[in-house]
Order: sequence, then C-alpha cells, then structure tokens
Amino acid sequence: MRRLSEAGTAWAYVFPACLIILGLGILPMIWSFILSLQVSDLITPPEWIGFKNYEVISRDPHFRAAVGHTLVYTALFVPLVIAAGLGLALLLNRRIRLIGLYRTLVFVPFVVSATAQGVLFSFIFESHFGLANAVLRWFSIPPQGFFTDEHQALYLLVLIGLWSGVGFCVVVFLAALQDIQEELVEAAALDGAGRWATFRYVVWPALQPVTIFLLVWQTLQALQVFDLVFVTTRGGPLESTTVVVFFVWQQAFQQFNAGYAAAAAYVLAFVLLVLSIGVRFARRRDT
Amino acid sequence: MTTRSASPGPTRRAFLRQGLGLAAATGMGSLLAACGSDDDDNATTTEDGPVTITMWHGQEDQAKETIDKIVVDFQSKNPKIKVEASSGGVVADSMLQKITTALSAGSYPDIAYIFGSDIANVARSPKVANLQPYVTKPEMKWDDFYPAARDAVTVEGKVRGFPALVDNLCVAYNKKVFKAAGVPEPTAGWTWDQFIETARKLTDPGKGVFGTGWPADGGEDCVWRFYPMIWDLGGAIVDESGKKVGFDNDSGLKALQTIHQLGAEKLVYPDTKPGSETMYQIFNSGKMGMVATGPWQLPDFVDQKTDYGVVPLPSYSGNKVTIAGPDTWTVFDNGSGRVKGAVTFLQFLTESSQDVKWATQAGSLPLRQSTANSAEWKEHLQSTTGLDVFSEALGYAKIRPTIRTYPRLSQPLGQAIVKMLLNKGTPEGALREAAQAANDALATG
Repeated sequence: MRRLSEAGTAWAYVFPACLIILGLGILPMIWSFILSLQVSDLITPPEWIGFKNYEVISRDPHFRAAVGHTLVYTALFVPLVIAAGLGLALLLNRRIRLIGLYRTLVFVPFVVSATAQGVLFSFIFESHFGLANAVLRWFSIPPQGFFTDEHQALYLLVLIGLWSGVGFCVVVFLAALQDIQEELVEAAALDGAGRWATFRYVVWPALQPVTIFLLVWQTLQALQVFDLVFVTTRGGPLESTTVVVFFVWQQAFQQFNAGYAAAAAYVLAFVLLVLSIGVRFARRRDT
Repeated sequence: MTTRSASPGPTRRAFLRQGLGLAAATGMGSLLAACGSDDDDNATTTEDGPVTITMWHGQEDQAKETIDKIVVDFQSKNPKIKVEASSGGVVADSMLQKITTALSAGSYPDIAYIFGSDIANVARSPKVANLQPYVTKPEMKWDDFYPAARDAVTVEGKVRGFPALVDNLCVAYNKKVFKAAGVPEPTAGWTWDQFIETARKLTDPGKGVFGTGWPADGGEDCVWRFYPMIWDLGGAIVDESGKKVGFDNDSGLKALQTIHQLGAEKLVYPDTKPGSETMYQIFNSGKMGMVATGPWQLPDFVDQKTDYGVVPLPSYSGNKVTIAGPDTWTVFDNGSGRVKGAVTFLQFLTESSQDVKWATQAGSLPLRQSTANSAEWKEHLQSTTGLDVFSEALGYAKIRPTIRTYPRLSQPLGQAIVKMLLNKGTPEGALREAAQAANDALATG
C-alpha cells in the first residue's frame, strides 16, 4: 500500500515534466509526421497521399541541392571547428597574465546571436564597399564577389560559423584539459616524454570522450544550420546556399507546401536519428 | 514584401529573423502547437448586440500610434463594438506565418494585416469571410477606392477584406550624383533605353558610383520591379487560361535583356542581402544615381538629407505604367455578428477622414480617390518631395494577380532576374528555365 502511494507521489512529481515533453516534443513530432503524409497548406483541409511526398522529394533536384550544400557545410565545419577549438584550448591552457581575459574573448562570439553575426558579416563581406575587399585591395588582391558569388557564398558561411562556433569547443576542451591530473603529465616528463609525446599519449586519450561529444554535437548543429543562411543570403545567390532547414522554411511558409516541407524535415530528422544511434552504439562497443 | 511596411529598422528585422530561426530550429510542429492558443471567443454574436472584435495589425511606431488613435475615435462613436487592436505579437512581415498557424489551430482574429501577394492563399481557408454582400451597399462607397486597392482584396470575384495600404514604384534619383556627372535629370515619359544610357553616364567604377540598384535576393522586392516592364511590352504575369505564364515571349525576353544589360555592364548594384537596406544606404551616400522605389522610402531620404527627385518609371512604349503593391485588412469569419462589427470598423478606418490620417501619418498613399482630392492630402503633398508623383501614379498602377499559385511562379522568376543582375547566363536561357518552372507550378496548381 505504502509502495503504491510512493509511486503515486513520484508520478505526481514527474507528471508536469512528462506533460511538457509530450506536449512540446512528442506530439508535434507525431503531428508533423502525419502532416508529411498529406498535401497541406495548413489553410485548407488536407488531402491524404501516403508516402507520395517522400517519393517526390527523392527526385527533387532542389532538395538534392539543399542536401548537397548541407553536407558540404557540415563536412567543412565540423573538422575545422574541432581542430581550431582544440588548438586554441591548448594555447589558452596555461598560466599567463590576463589569461581570463583571453578566454573570455574567445568565448564572446559564441554568445553573439546568429542574427547579429549575419548582419555584421554581410557588411564586412559586402562586395563593393565592405571591409574585407578593402583589406584585400591593400594586399593588391583583386576584389572578390563574396556573397554575390555563388562559388564563394557557402564557404563564407562556414567561415562565419567557425568564428562563432569555435568558442564553445574551446570551453569544452579547456574543461577537459584542466581535468587531466598534473601527476600524469609530470610522470610523463620524468619518463622523458617530449611535448608531442605527452600530448599524444597522455593528453589526447583524456580528451577523447569530449571530442566525440563535440563531434556529434557540432554535426547535429551543422546539419540544422538555418539562422545564418536566413540572415545573410536567403539561400542565394542563385540558390547556392539553400540548406535543408531553409528549404523546409521556404516550402512551408513561402510556397504553402506544408506537407512537403514536413516530409523534408522528416528526412533530416531521420538522418539525425540514425547518426545519434550509430554514435551511441559505437561508443557502447568502445567501453 | 519586407520593404513595404511603414518603418523598416534593423532591430525589428533582427527580431523577426531570430524568431523565424528559432521557429525552424525547434521544428514546425512545436511552432504550430505554441501559437494560436489564446482563446478569446467570449464575444456574443447576436445581431447589433455588444460585440468584441480582434485585430492583428502588425504595425509599430508611428503607424501603430495612428491606428490606436483611430480605434479610440471609433470606440467613442460606436460603444457597442469593442475593438481589441494589437500588433498580433508580430510585425507585418511575419503575419502570414502567424495567421497560418492561427487558422490551423482554429483560433484566429477578426481582422489581420495580410500582404496582397498572400491573400489568395489565405482566402482558400473557409474561415475567411466573404464581404461581397457588404461592399455593394452604397454607403460603403466601394468604387471610391483606387482600382489597384479594390483588385487586391478581390480573390476569384469575391471581396475578402478591405484595402489597408497601397503604394507603387517610381524612380527616385540623387540630384547630387547627376550634377557631379553632368547628366541632365530624368523627366516623365522617358524610356528604358534612356534609363540605361543615363545609368551608363552616371556609373563610375573609379569613384564607386553605380547608375542604379536592384534587390538581388530573388524575393518579391526583386521580382515585382519586372512586371511593369512586361506589361508595357504586352506581356502578362499569367495568360488568360491561368495555366501558363504570360511572359514566355518577346516581352519577358526584352525585359530580361534590359536587366541583363544593366548587370553585364555593371551599371547596377545588385543587393544580395535580404531587405535591400544597403542599396538605399548607397543611394543616400551619393554612390548611386537612380533607384526604383516606393513612397515608403521617402521619409528615409528626408531623414538622411538626400537631395532627391522622383520621376515615373521608364517604359518602352512611352505609356504610363507601374505596379502597385497593396496590402489588405483581411476579414475572418468568427460568426456574422463579429464580421459585421469588423466591417463597420474597417469602413470607419478607411473613410476619407481617417484614410488621410493613416496616409499622412503612417507615410503611405491614399486608398480612396476622394482622399487624394482632399485639401488635407494636397497640403501634405507639399511637405514631401516626390510624393505627388507616387500619388498620381496610383491612377494607372496595376497589381499582381491574386492567384494562389503566385508564390511558386514568382520564385523561379526571381532566380532568372538575379542571374541577369549578376551577369550569369543569357536572357534566353534564364527565361526558358523560369518559364518552364513557373508553368510546371501553374499546371499542378
């Protein structure tokens, strides 16, 4: 009897949280899956079409292009942000004057909203009057098109993403670096290990768990990039920066294809799910 | 269209973008679940009884203050109709998203500010009221509205709301740039050939001066500038059958060739950033000679102390032609009592005495011809350079068709125009691709 009431009390505590998760997480997911099986503009009564949206999307060159852009962005962004984060963290992991200030400065861009970054960088990379071309001119390099050049825009987005994303990696790596016991490093030094050997055999193994975490986290973030694109290029020039989430937005809210957009969103969600599960299995096997 | 709301400012834009970003990041589903939960269906809907109507006007600053004043005024004269006017929690730019979610949640206002290019899609909802029975009444003076304004609220022969704002495109030019280049200022009745010739004389790469500018983000502000050109050349946006585009011919080709010439000779500054603010900054800073724009931009020119003039759009034929981009007060059906209340309020709001306040204080143009002829408006015309040119152009401005496939037609066309502005590909190729994609969209509906 007592047990039962204990469980009841427990459920009473957990219930509000469950409700929120169900209401704001699970239900919308189910709802948008149903939406993805319909022709719907969210305005008129929907029409049930089964998996036809998915069929069409598999042949849609625009969606394929969006997937391509997203993959290029992710493939460049993730390794670079982790490498840069690790490098900066190693530099910042020492006791020198004003180190607190340096660490703060590295983290500041992460706090700046993607919107503000977008506006800031679209001014810097303005093709005629921007700062970047002024600097290039000073080095006698011909002016670049930047956001008006469909071969450069996507790479610029990676660059801007790096500027803001690296701060987070630095903080995580720094925390991990400071968790490494001094004795281990000292012991390695006594055994005659140089700087590289210490890093390779003492520091790096200790950093592996957080590296995997960052790898997963940043990949998920990169695959869902949207705000930066929305503010700087709106998918342009000439659809060279349409990423998957932007494609979803465009379909749902500009072209009134909500069902089709939901299907595209589900394709992305499925990839993210497979990725997360894959990493989980890989890690379980490791330990 | 972002540029058409009364006062575009970076903070508002920033807010909007962040909001949208957030919405997409959290997934459409949760967005839909989160919106439209406010339930204010407490109004009784008996005929002539007290009724409460809700209005989402999406306005801010000066425009919001003007509406608030008019609402207070209305309230004192009509105590039985209580008007709850608010922005709706969004700016006009994102009203479409808000209203879409509100409709699908089944809890929507009585009146909302909907862009002219969106009303056809919104009006597909059975929850949008049919005002046809109301507007035929003589006291409504429906024919007093400018044709462009009337057409904008009429979808498939049914009136779905009231005109809210009307504007059009003319060319603003920077007098200092003209003087510096020693080029005579343009005059009404000029041609596109003259426009290009003028742009050529004004352009000076050494000094970083552009002849003209054009939004190049492929959005509505980029596309609508193209339509007066094809209309003038005998083309149309969609042909009579409604199943095919009407510019897949010499009209579209010639118009694209004109834009291509501007792009290829680098006479135009293509503004690829959403919102086209840079384009106007360049104009204000004396690095651009001419820009096609609407009356919404004039307060900014005045603020920046730009020495400017305004002339009608150039044409090919010498005829007067321009496009109007009207916005609407779309009315939603929450029972006949509330629809009636909404109509009574909108009638008051758009009456000449209020219309003139709205037009002068919120920086737009008169919706009614009687307003344009009023002494108050004529006096106001004196206060802002060039406003008279826009006001006069209302007489011949045409609008985009109110068809629901419009957004899917506009998108590929936008890409074709951007290609020309950035000097990629040929006008022939761009036209073929755009027409093909737009025709596909029209055919599938």
